[in-house]
Amino acid sequence: MPQTEALLPRFRAAHTQVLGVSVDSVYSHASWAASLGGVSFPLLADFHPKAELAKSLGLYLDAAGISDRATVIIDSNGVVQYVEAVGPPGQRDIEALLAECEKVDGKGTPTVDLAEPPGIAAGVLYVRSNCGPSRFATWARDNLHLDQIALSNVSKDPAAAAELERASGGSQAPCLVVAGEATTEHDAIIAKLVAAAAVLPG
Amino acid sequence: MIAVGENAPDFSLKDHLGREVAASNFKGKSHVMLLFYPLDWTPT
Repeated sequence: MPQTEALLPRFRAAHTQVLGVSVDSVYSHASWAASLGGVSFPLLADFHPKAELAKSLGLYLDAAGISDRATVIIDSNGVVQYVEAVGPPGQRDIEALLAECEKVDGKGTPTVDLAEPPGIAAGVLYVRSNCGPSRFATWARDNLHLDQIALSNVSKDPAAAAELERASGGSQAPCLVVAGEATTEHDAIIAKLVAAAAVLPG
Repeated sequence: MIAVGENAPDFSLKDHLGREVAASNFKGKSHVMLLFYPLDWTPT
């Protein structure tokens, strides 16, 4: 995943959206991706009903309860242009797959150029210890490489709690404060971070 | 296994950033590369 992350500008230039998929939940995805140094392209949870997408493509390994390690490239008309399964212990060659995507792009099915994400000003994400929503918001910050958003734990630091009170007029955390504007509720915080840093086509 | 030249199935799944990501998002706009992998917390 980190190697793919590093090549995202080139996939974008080839008008290709990269999507990771496994049978794990969104929480597992978010935590794992953050532990890898951040994954900003979507990791899809093929979780419930389990492996519905993998099964529809014939890539589910029933006995093991997991999907194969496999790559499917679909052109902008929705037609499969490349399929390869390497087996769970197998390895993918991401550079070679990028070349396949460039080949598909060269066939000229309709595409739009994706605008660069607008970015976000420096700010602070106030979080609490042992708080699921705080953790999910922190993973999003990490996965989107938003180092300009400082982390401040109000459970550990009374000064941080006082600062949160000043900035937001309350004590609710997680809370994102950017340019004097406070956002509470973790899904609203994550939506704000995503809009700043990871635009999808459509 | 699906074959080259076949139409890809529709899908709509949640991602790790809280988004609903659907095949229809990309029709006429972008190609898609699906990277299936066995499990999180394993080498990729």
